[in-house]
Amino acid sequence: MNVLEIRNLTKKFGDFIAVDNMSLNIREGEIFGFLGSNGAGKSTTINMISSLLRSTKGDIEVLGRNIATNGKFAKMNIGIVPQDISIYENMTSYENVSFFAGLYGLRGNLLKERTEEALDFVGLGDKAKSFPKNFSGGMKRRLNIACAIAHRPKLIIMDEPTVGIDPQSRNYILNSVRKLNEMGCTIIYTSHYMEEVEEICTRIAIVDHGKIIADGTKEQLKAIITDTKNIWIEIKATDSPSIDSLKQIQGVITAQLEDNTIKINSKGEINNLNRVIQQLIKDGIEIRSVEEQAPNLETVFLTLTGRNLRD
Amino acid sequence: MTDILWLIRKTLRNTFRNKSSWLVYLGLPLVGILISSLLYGSTNGNTLRIGIVNNDGNQVITQDAIKFIEGLNQIKITMTDEKSLRSDIASNKLDSGLVFKQGFADSLRTGSHGEAQVDIVSVKGAQVTAYVKSMLQNYIGNVAAIGKGTQGNEATFDKLYAEYSAHNFKLNAETIEDTSNQKDMTYQTIGFLVTFMLFSAVNLSELILKEKESRTFLRLMTSPISARTYVLSNVIVNVLIMLLQIVFTLFMMKNVFHIDSGIPYAQFIPVLLLFALAAVGLSLVMVAFAKSTAGAGAMQNLIIVPTCMLSGCFFPMEIMPDSIQKISNFLPQHWLLDAINKLQSGETFGNLGLNLAILFGFAVAFSLIAIYRFSRNNDTRMFV
Repeated sequence: MNVLEIRNLTKKFGDFIAVDNMSLNIREGEIFGFLGSNGAGKSTTINMISSLLRSTKGDIEVLGRNIATNGKFAKMNIGIVPQDISIYENMTSYENVSFFAGLYGLRGNLLKERTEEALDFVGLGDKAKSFPKNFSGGMKRRLNIACAIAHRPKLIIMDEPTVGIDPQSRNYILNSVRKLNEMGCTIIYTSHYMEEVEEICTRIAIVDHGKIIADGTKEQLKAIITDTKNIWIEIKATDSPSIDSLKQIQGVITAQLEDNTIKINSKGEINNLNRVIQQLIKDGIEIRSVEEQAPNLETVFLTLTGRNLRD
Repeated sequence: MTDILWLIRKTLRNTFRNKSSWLVYLGLPLVGILISSLLYGSTNGNTLRIGIVNNDGNQVITQDAIKFIEGLNQIKITMTDEKSLRSDIASNKLDSGLVFKQGFADSLRTGSHGEAQVDIVSVKGAQVTAYVKSMLQNYIGNVAAIGKGTQGNEATFDKLYAEYSAHNFKLNAETIEDTSNQKDMTYQTIGFLVTFMLFSAVNLSELILKEKESRTFLRLMTSPISARTYVLSNVIVNVLIMLLQIVFTLFMMKNVFHIDSGIPYAQFIPVLLLFALAAVGLSLVMVAFAKSTAGAGAMQNLIIVPTCMLSGCFFPMEIMPDSIQKISNFLPQHWLLDAINKLQSGETFGNLGLNLAILFGFAVAFSLIAIYRFSRNNDTRMFV
């Protein structure tokens, strides 16, 4: 069963097309990774799913019902964990979770039970009476999640839920995502951290210029780039290689400099490593190390979009 | 409906959990009453302290004149000498002084009015001398008339004067309540209340902007409640808090500060509440146009204080030039204060049709502008 179905979704801001005829199905029980660099269209898509924005064209169905005509039903079944921490600093943890859960119609003992359950789930049960202004970034992020899950939504959308927190809190949140999934929630997860997406997502879509350019399990995505190889060349930090010269070498698909590493994606059947090294030596670049990378999501993303995720 | 109540409960709890809210919403109107009391309270009719210097010795007529002054209501006399009199008046220990010169009694016996034989000394002017002067003139006139009638015949004068004095003639003075003072205090208190209501309204509407800035607004909008429900809950909280301000201010005015506005609560509260709606409308316009709380704060200062000054919230309209008075016709504060003045002047509630219609018109116009502005806001961070 599809929890979310998007058909020919388009959103225009004036002449700018933020989402371009996007179609997508998310099945029940999936942890769906939504990858895209800034401005790729993923936030606009999420805002339309959350009913924060109206689409210019196309349909969105949540649990088989169109959100244009069943907006309240869709909202009742969706829980949003926004990227920015959206909680009231002058209300206790308990009051925050209880207030947001109350917006979904929960009252009385059921509200109390669900609030306590959500706080326990994120490990803040003992902080129910504490004010978030005294919390660490990780604790605030966990409270941010608790506010989104107390009403037990079928679909949870998590937008960069681990930004700016310590590794311990990050692990806690990733484990929470898995547990929520085990409890039957379908999750849409966006993150700039490829390793997180690779670790927890069962299916991933890569968005670029408002379109889904690849969609599948991480194995399926990696298989897309088996006919290419990734060469990372570490150089002296102060050197400035000519990336344009490298791109002109036969077989090179993309090349870019990140910090002091040149990341080259090249056709697998062409042996051009010698020519790349010769070019760098000719340009007076000091080579520190050369490494061929096994395919991972980052190289998949780089290959497909020509950009890094953080660009 | 339960959604609105849920939101109202949260906003009220968060607002009054903050101690400074109590100070802003209830403390400031109280300060307004205090300032009004200080400004106008000192002009209440107190006892006049009069120093008397008798340079005319033990003359019966002079002694009787002094007793006459002493017998007047709200007068306290102190016998003194000229040097002390002047220093006591200068140091505000006395309000004024009467100096009976030598020959005062003799001049009355001859039928002269003898005013030249009495000096009235004061630094406060007619405010404190007029009452004593007029009463004394009346007394002196009567005695001088006897003197004039007896044409210097001392025996006849003494006989007639003894009869005059023996008459159980008594002047009864009744103090009439000075309602103008109460009206001035009411006007000033309401002027301050209007200003604080406007500030409160903007502060409360600013909660919408604060929620946007803290991103809780976006989370609210992803829940089943609509933007309309959210704004409506804010308006209801706004009106409730202003109703509390109004009732609290009027209660404190009457029962603690004993300022009698002369207007029944049943008329006073609805008129102020109608103004509260206009204030909420204006606050929503500011919030709709402001992009941040800082922007709304700047608008608040730029709009509220000058318009309150122009409408006569801080001082009576009569002292302002005609051109300013005409400008105030375009401000809701003016129409409220005008309605209060009319009610205090004894006009019935039914005669306030124009004022009430204009206040209602302001409320509707402001709300429509705010709705129009909100509806054109297409930014996900800002929309309502």
